[in-house]
Amino acid sequence: MAGLTLNHLYKRYDNSGKKKKTKNDFAVKDLNLVCEQGEFVALLGPSGCGKTTTLRMIAGLEEITDGEIYIGERLVNKLHPKDRNIGLAFEDYAMYPPLNVYENVAFNLRAKGVDKNEIDKKVREIAPLMQINDILDKMPVKLSGGQKQRVNIARAIIREPELLLMDEPLSHLDGKARQAMRTEIKRLINKIKCTTVYVTHDQLEAMSLADKIAIINFGVLQQFGTPTEVYDDPANEFVASFIGEPPMNILETTIISKEGTFFFTFENSNLQIAVPKRYYSVVSDGFKCKMGVRPMDVLIGGPDSKGTPEEIATFENLGDERRIGIHVGDVLMMLITEDEKRYKRGDIIKLEVREEKTHLFDIETGDRIREKTE
Amino acid sequence: MAEIKLEHVKKAFGKVQALSDITLDVKDKEFFVLFGPAGAGKTTILNTIAGITMPDEGTVKFDGKVMNLIDPAHRNVAMVFENYALYPQMTVYDNMASALRSKLYKTSEEEIKERIAWAAKVMKMENLLERLPSQLSNGQKQRVAMGRALVRTPNVFLMDEPLAHLDAKLRNSMRTELKEMQANLGSTCIYVTHDFMEAMALGDRIAIINEGNIVQIGTGDEIYYMPCNEFTASLMGDPQINIFKARIIEEAGGYSILFAVGEDAVNLPLPKDAGIYKAIKENGLEYVDLGIRPQNVKYAFEPTEGYFKASVYSYESIGNKSVIVAECGDYQLRMIAPNGLNVAIDSDVYIRFELDRSILFDENTKKYIVRYDEENFKALANNSEGK
Repeated sequence: MAGLTLNHLYKRYDNSGKKKKTKNDFAVKDLNLVCEQGEFVALLGPSGCGKTTTLRMIAGLEEITDGEIYIGERLVNKLHPKDRNIGLAFEDYAMYPPLNVYENVAFNLRAKGVDKNEIDKKVREIAPLMQINDILDKMPVKLSGGQKQRVNIARAIIREPELLLMDEPLSHLDGKARQAMRTEIKRLINKIKCTTVYVTHDQLEAMSLADKIAIINFGVLQQFGTPTEVYDDPANEFVASFIGEPPMNILETTIISKEGTFFFTFENSNLQIAVPKRYYSVVSDGFKCKMGVRPMDVLIGGPDSKGTPEEIATFENLGDERRIGIHVGDVLMMLITEDEKRYKRGDIIKLEVREEKTHLFDIETGDRIREKTE
Repeated sequence: MAEIKLEHVKKAFGKVQALSDITLDVKDKEFFVLFGPAGAGKTTILNTIAGITMPDEGTVKFDGKVMNLIDPAHRNVAMVFENYALYPQMTVYDNMASALRSKLYKTSEEEIKERIAWAAKVMKMENLLERLPSQLSNGQKQRVAMGRALVRTPNVFLMDEPLAHLDAKLRNSMRTELKEMQANLGSTCIYVTHDFMEAMALGDRIAIINEGNIVQIGTGDEIYYMPCNEFTASLMGDPQINIFKARIIEEAGGYSILFAVGEDAVNLPLPKDAGIYKAIKENGLEYVDLGIRPQNVKYAFEPTEGYFKASVYSYESIGNKSVIVAECGDYQLRMIAPNGLNVAIDSDVYIRFELDRSILFDENTKKYIVRYDEENFKALANNSEGK
């Protein structure tokens, strides 16, 4: 069963100041998305891409211009936010400062007129789950960021909503608290099995938390898939460069043919990489496109390597790993290694590329160029 | 360019002792990083060097000359801040020229032009000179702020989290560029950050600062492989190092390490290594804290000889790899695993430590005692000096 269905969803803000409407007026454009019951879906994209607008439309805080929103089987287009049976957790915690944690968590149920004993039972049930047992008596000002966010989420899920919506709930926290909280959220959602839509601009957060990721840019859905799918099989250049850190190396290339073998070649560089055989049906001698390869798929060859000798431009020792940059034309091509050998600028290494891991993109549109399937 | 020395610098703001007793020595042409958590006193140190903050006690020296009483303008330092502090009404060119046109420097327009052209080339922003700050991206703004510092040929660059405002991607690519730039210029640079990757990547040496004190000074490799205490160890590395309470026992002509997982005790024989055995004997070690980094924890999903049992607390992808968090007893143990494993939460996982990569800390003082094959890592740390 679908937990949430978005059908041809559009949002256009009425910019009365502007004389002419352009197609860019759409904050969200023809968005189609089906989240299965209990699935954790991340809406991911750069700021201003329309992800929060989408979330607000689902919540009913924003009118929709066109399209349909179903929560479960119910069409909720016209429903008031309070009747949609959703839980909300936003970036700023929006707690009631004069109420202690217990009262904050209980507030929604009290407002609904739920029986006092019933409320108490539910708060006591959820408190250990969210690890707020010890702070139920505390006032919001006394809480750390992580604690506030836990209370915030407890408040959202205590009503047992059909759908949980979260908007960048971790962006206020510092690195370590965020990492710990990420683990907690992941476990919690796994336990309560509530359909969740989670907005973030942090690809790491989306990758680590979500069952599926919807990547949005300029209001248009770029790809919808599992973390592994969007990482290994990106639909276009935008997705390829947005997912992964450091980002995928993407270089303009001209393909040449030498004795029946195709190679990627690059302007102002003697680097040559063999084109995987599966692309032979779509490329030709002189074919121009972009080649993408992840930094972990670029390797340092051993002494007997047939790789192209290249000079190291940057070397960064990050403790856990080391990153090496090599100039290929004007582009700095990055590679990551866990090898403990230390290099310095100017050292020559033999560069190898896992050819089968290269992707081809169209120069103009950025779309993936895929091999022809029978 | 200059050598910077701080000697016994103390500073209090009211009752708060911001700097307790700071002594450090930044060499000429060195990239020196001040690294620590928020509120550690990093920025106060930087401000003391710039002359914005007066120390209560101690001296600040540039090239051996005491600078305490010299005002900031005459110290010839260039500061780059987190918020770029550009003049919004001026073009990039004028922003960069503003300091040189001031009464203090009174540089001829001809020379200004020359210097800006050079700085713009170094910072790769030749095409931005005519723009206004509002027409720049955040990364470009930060480049302008740095270019502006560059044209003055200062004694020292002081940078206060210049990349913290940028998003993760831009931050990393700017970091790479900054390192390249500094290497080309050969300038002295003191850089404040709370990001360990920045500290590792940029610093020739790193000073770990906590609560107004210097915890450790060393190269990235020294600090990463031989952290002076558990605090430093936990700062360096992401996900952070796992630390267990453990007991060393002598048996069958060797040593074993014993630690509690819930009700059970896990017994791990220590691989034979003269160095660590010597350290254990000499110090009469029994109760220690055992530190092991996530990439040195191995796992299996079937019962395996030499592995102990734990349960999966979470499994998170972090891009090119994943982290399994395992619960064993009271501990949450983080380990690195590949992406795309089929790992169910609360299922069993079997764990082995690569003990020959472990670090031992004192259980009371939390100080570094010894790590396995310490000699190798000393050699590694020495080799990487002057990179």
